[in-house]
Amino acid sequence: MSKTALIVDDSPTMRQMVAFTLTNAGFTVVEAEHGKDAVNKAAAAGKMDIVVTDLNMPEMDGITLIKELRKLSAFKFTPILMLTTESALEKKQAGKEAGATGWLVKPFNPETLLKTIAKVLPA
Amino acid sequence: MSDEFAQFQEAFFEEAAEHLAIVEEGLLALEQYPKDLELLAKIFRSAHSIKGASGMFGFNAVTQFTHKMETLLDLLRNGEKAVSPPIADLLLKSTDCLKALIEAVKSGGAVDDEVVQRLTAELASASGAQPPAVPQKQSVAVSPQSASQERSYLIKWTPPEWLFQRGLDPLQVLKELNGFGDLSSVTLDMSRVPDLAEIDPEKCYLSWELQLLTGKDQKTIESVFEFVHEDSTLSIEEIRSQESGVRSNAAYDSIPSITPHPSSLRPQEDGGPKPLGTILVESGVVSPAVLEQALSQQKRVGEILVEQKAVTPRQLEQALNTQRQQEAASHTKKTDTTSIRVDTAKIDKLINLVGELVITQSMLSDLGSRFEIKQLPVLLERVAQLERNTREIQERVMGIRMLPIGTAFSRFPRLVRDLSTKAGKKIQLVLSGEETELDKTVIESIGDPLTHLVRNSADHGLEPPEERLDNNKSEVGTIRLNAFHEGGSICITVEDDGRGLSRDKIIAKAIKQGLIGENEKLSDDQIWPLIFRPGFSTAEKVTDVSGRGVGMDVVKRNIEALGGTVSIKTVTGKGTTFTLKLPLTLAIIEGMTVRVGKETYIVPLLSILESIQPKAGTIKTVVGKGELINVRGTYLPMIRMYEVFILEPEYTNPMKSILLILETEGERVAVMVDEILGQQQVVIKSMEQNFRKVEGIAGATILGDGTVGFILDVRGLLEIARQGTPVSAVA
Repeated sequence: MSKTALIVDDSPTMRQMVAFTLTNAGFTVVEAEHGKDAVNKAAAAGKMDIVVTDLNMPEMDGITLIKELRKLSAFKFTPILMLTTESALEKKQAGKEAGATGWLVKPFNPETLLKTIAKVLPA
Repeated sequence: MSDEFAQFQEAFFEEAAEHLAIVEEGLLALEQYPKDLELLAKIFRSAHSIKGASGMFGFNAVTQFTHKMETLLDLLRNGEKAVSPPIADLLLKSTDCLKALIEAVKSGGAVDDEVVQRLTAELASASGAQPPAVPQKQSVAVSPQSASQERSYLIKWTPPEWLFQRGLDPLQVLKELNGFGDLSSVTLDMSRVPDLAEIDPEKCYLSWELQLLTGKDQKTIESVFEFVHEDSTLSIEEIRSQESGVRSNAAYDSIPSITPHPSSLRPQEDGGPKPLGTILVESGVVSPAVLEQALSQQKRVGEILVEQKAVTPRQLEQALNTQRQQEAASHTKKTDTTSIRVDTAKIDKLINLVGELVITQSMLSDLGSRFEIKQLPVLLERVAQLERNTREIQERVMGIRMLPIGTAFSRFPRLVRDLSTKAGKKIQLVLSGEETELDKTVIESIGDPLTHLVRNSADHGLEPPEERLDNNKSEVGTIRLNAFHEGGSICITVEDDGRGLSRDKIIAKAIKQGLIGENEKLSDDQIWPLIFRPGFSTAEKVTDVSGRGVGMDVVKRNIEALGGTVSIKTVTGKGTTFTLKLPLTLAIIEGMTVRVGKETYIVPLLSILESIQPKAGTIKTVVGKGELINVRGTYLPMIRMYEVFILEPEYTNPMKSILLILETEGERVAVMVDEILGQQQVVIKSMEQNFRKVEGIAGATILGDGTVGFILDVRGLLEIARQGTPVSAVA
């Protein structure tokens, strides 16, 4: 069975690029536009193998999303990667406190994304 | 940039355009509500998105510039700086500049570097920051020298207790390390594990001691712990080196202190030597400014060759031109495609419908394979179902091209702001109906005509504040843009509450230009359209305000090219309303099929007023004006279709045939046909593209029986009717 990934980003371009990379790597992908959307989709999906989220989003930002996801029992130990821009690296700490597993600095290329995912996702 | 991501560039440009619109709109609104933090957050997010995505494609100029804007926006958003008119202005200008930068990467246009640099500096100083040093290059390249040397490391790792709660799995770390070489010994330290009763299953009480034999360097090993090392107790120690015997000890207790590595032991991060200039600056021999200046004196190869007289300046110029052309060519190639973003719900619905269509089709082919005549009712029912499916799919597919008109409206707040500042008038812009949907092509084409009209209203329609006050009007003039659906078309109105058109001035001007006779009695409805005549409004202003006269004839021509009409309503002293009526889509029209002889024609339904059977004595022939028919007291020109298109008709006697009364742009004409066949939607196929332009024909279509039917161009027919008759005499 293929692995499932929840991709959260308000930028459709970013979302498409991440989704494209993950789909090519054999993931089944669910996309969400912002934190709230993601919480709903996570709850509806029941369980995901990995979550990749942007931080700066309308409705609900990435940090809050991570906190909310950690409250769901099915997402308590799910790897969650956050995408940050360099300027937002200070968010790393906030992300860690919220329960982010790891982070990836934008811009990145498909290989780095997959490598980072491989780091946190049991094969 | 990754080539795999290059395919998303088009999506990025589209998204960036939307974000730019949001930023611009937001900044304009901000001038009124400078304390609206939510608005600021929204603007910030859009800038941030552009920055993030542009970085993914390596559009560094865009990324860096947006970063500067973002820095300032961040300060505003956090309330560390207040929004002032100069800041809003700077941000608006920066938005324009950003637009140009994006356009430049998209289609290879040039950007004024000076403007970019000036704005960059202004943004930096507004953010109260010195321009930061050149960003350090991140590199994860593994040093090539160390790759061949196997070293043995002793790794001691105590992860933080909350490791699991962040979704981290220590096993992953061990696996990754193992992938680097030979994990020869793994010792698990369980001494910290409490009694079973006290154990928290969500916490990690374990520590590890590992020995790893690997060709990777220490930095690579550290990278395995990237997400945890700041919170772990971690030491990585080289226990022996097989080649050099150098013992490097970079053990550290983590949290904030990261011990810098002795640089002499470490290769340059990029794997190559530093530029000479950098070394000189670092060793303090020269200052960065001196270096900068020296570098600026560096000459380009072309200049050197010219100095050495190896090439002439002319040859150089030619070579440079060739280079520029090649550059431009390579840029234009990639922007040929256009794309459209579609709501996934629309596509899902479409897929459902296609599913239904497939079912209907299989039902039909099943029926066809063993058809008996008694099943005819079933067949008819299935065919009706097929028709429903097809129509619905057609509507949905057209719907995909439909976009809200708001995208075309969004440029106006800025335009009106600029116009009001320039003209010294106070203007308020009210937009409504932004959600009204219409065809993408139409939206793209109405931008310019609308801009003309809005500009016209601001320049000529609205009076200066003093004049308005004198006339008991509010000092602030209002321009309203509204869009709404009406029947099968969309109406867009541009309304101002200014002084209205001046009847006397238009008449005087028209007489001067010889458009109307000196003593002609004209109704208002005949006078206003005169301003759409070529050269009418450009040469001299109808209203005597300074400003740019815009070619209203161009507006009219553009709208008509889209199959639409423009009409004017004006009340002196109260204001003017221009109404644009446009078809929802350019590809399909609702048509009435008519027959003349053996030929079938399609008449656009929108232009049909009525159909009549003329009574004897209502048709008169007037010398020089052709045939006229009296319809309830009004004489209309009559056109015999068979004469225009040279056909063999069934009837040459109008009393036996049918007359369609058609209207376009307020003028009417009666067209004689043999029979009305029915009403249907037709897909327009261009005549120009497939054949050539034919007077009186707007296009062609394929009819139900597979034959070609021509679509009448009502305006063209009117022109044909007018031939040989003075324009002003048509009544």
